[in-house]
Amino acid sequence: MAGKSGRTIDATVNTTWKNRIFSWEGMLLLLFFVINIFCRCISPNYTIINVLREMPKYLCEIFLLFPMAYILILGDIDISVGSTVCLSATMACITCNAGLPFPVVILVTLLTGMVCGMINGLILTKFTELPAMIVTLGTQIVFRGIAEIVLGSGGSVSLSNTDGFRAIAGKIGPFPYVFFIVIIAAVIFTLISTKTTFGRSLYAIGSNSKAAYYAGIKVQKIRFIVFTITGTMAGLAALFLTSALYGANTTTGSGFEMDAIAMAVFGGIATIGGKGKLLGGIISAFIIVCLRIGLGQINMNPQVILIILGTLLVCAVLIPNISGKLNIRKKKA
Amino acid sequence: MEKKSLWKKLTSSHEASLVIVLVILCFLVEMKSPGFLSMKNILEILKNNSVIMIMSLGMLCVLLIGGIDISITSSLALSGMTMGMLIKYDIVHSTLLAFIIASVIGTVCGFVVGLVVSKGKVTPIIATMGAMYIYRGFAYLVANSQWAGADALGDFNNFALESYLGFGIINNVLVIVIICYIVFFIMLKWTKFGRNIYAVGSNTEAAEISGINVDRVKLAVYTIMGFLCGLCGALATSVYASAQPNMQQNKEMDVIAACVIGGVSMSGGRGSVGGALLGALILAIISKALPLVGIDAIAQNTVKGLIILVVIMLNVITKRMFDKRNLERREM
Repeated sequence: MAGKSGRTIDATVNTTWKNRIFSWEGMLLLLFFVINIFCRCISPNYTIINVLREMPKYLCEIFLLFPMAYILILGDIDISVGSTVCLSATMACITCNAGLPFPVVILVTLLTGMVCGMINGLILTKFTELPAMIVTLGTQIVFRGIAEIVLGSGGSVSLSNTDGFRAIAGKIGPFPYVFFIVIIAAVIFTLISTKTTFGRSLYAIGSNSKAAYYAGIKVQKIRFIVFTITGTMAGLAALFLTSALYGANTTTGSGFEMDAIAMAVFGGIATIGGKGKLLGGIISAFIIVCLRIGLGQINMNPQVILIILGTLLVCAVLIPNISGKLNIRKKKA
Repeated sequence: MEKKSLWKKLTSSHEASLVIVLVILCFLVEMKSPGFLSMKNILEILKNNSVIMIMSLGMLCVLLIGGIDISITSSLALSGMTMGMLIKYDIVHSTLLAFIIASVIGTVCGFVVGLVVSKGKVTPIIATMGAMYIYRGFAYLVANSQWAGADALGDFNNFALESYLGFGIINNVLVIVIICYIVFFIMLKWTKFGRNIYAVGSNTEAAEISGINVDRVKLAVYTIMGFLCGLCGALATSVYASAQPNMQQNKEMDVIAACVIGGVSMSGGRGSVGGALLGALILAIISKALPLVGIDAIAQNTVKGLIILVVIMLNVITKRMFDKRNLERREM
């Protein structure tokens, strides 16, 4: 097993067609079509219109995928995003019920998420010895705890005035607004990760943070920014989740962090950092969303869907590892 | 190497500072609500937290080899639920057999996770996250939208109420906790396997070069963790007198938190049985004491989270101070 030092970054990029098709992303795209055909076969209701109608509540999780991918590329992890979504959604409902104008509600929601992300970032950059897992574990409990306090004894709140949220849940043709915003966010996040210095430094830090530091990359500043972005995106996810659910409770967004990590890992982004492309994560996110909608339409037990997702997740990492091992054996023989 | 004086040993060890925290904590709560430190109350707290206490032992080993396991409460639910269903439908009658069945299921769960991590080279967080989904899903499937309540479990509930294992003095559950702690203390302190665990965690490559079968150690550690989950599945069913598919959900974070408060390093190689015990005790006392000192039940999670954050930050600060002091001494 090669340690962290054993990894290298490819300086040359091979873009032959063969490489593109047989890359992880190519395989995922193929799987995406297979899953869609499969869902179409098992469920007669699996049409584009129906899928788009059910999509908004799943799309919220994709907002979390982009920053989570950045965090995983950095070699960190953030398991507090689900709680951040819960707290932001709670604040959205509370401020909206207080009768504040809708732009203020949006601002408060995003700010809540941003502050949560900044707290994570601040702790992690001031105490660099601490692993992100345990810090975000602490903040996960705290953020949801604060939401519980705000929600009070009832543990839930529903919107009294849904006008604003109804507006952002609107559609252009069959496509909901969220769909476009997810696509825009996907393009922006992908471009940042591939075309900018910031994106390149993410990979550099993930591959070897010490080397990146000595190369003049402001490691801690970038980590802080990424965690803040994560919080803000969690706020955005909370906004659209509220527009789909018209309320919030203490379990809102629980498990989102795991789903986002699962999407990223399934898309080929390694948790050890420095590896993977955002494109893979996005394709895998849509695979998971389509699978969920398709299996949900034939009334499959949600627990079976969980088992399928878990198996897919483990296999996604296991299969390349095993086939890599076999390849090495073949070369040796 | 010069021998450290007792005083220095006390002030420099993490466990000692945890004991002080624990004593102060107990003292403060006792002042606010007398009777907190009564024998009965303490035994009650220990019994109710036996699951976390036992699982933090397994988590200690997993963290020591530099891994993490978030599937533990799912395999706990799967084994507890399967056992509960077998008792409910009168297939299993003996308590001992029920415990064995639960432990075997847990061990198999842990073994599978261990195989995926050690042979499949999947990062522990991903492997156990997948396992978390899968085992929890199976627990729901086994339950088949039913649950085993106190009346269905019958005799099995009595296990947590009686004390025949502890010669009529100590509750059965606590006897199991104590046995687990003694076994793990001996295993980690004085056996070759225990040393191998520390070696793998401190430096995997060095351990491999020095002839330790790293994969086998990893497999063994995850299997042990699974065994403890199975055991705890039976214990939890007995203590709470019910088996439900959502048993102990999200409690894996409490187990990890207990270990981290106890000074177990998340990057492997550092940590002790005493630390895990103290961490679990501190968490247990905090959650029991908060309502007693007048903190609203609603605010409990916030306080718990804040305490975890403060403890880990204090750890870093004290460690920095020690390093600085040591450096100054060297310069002189």
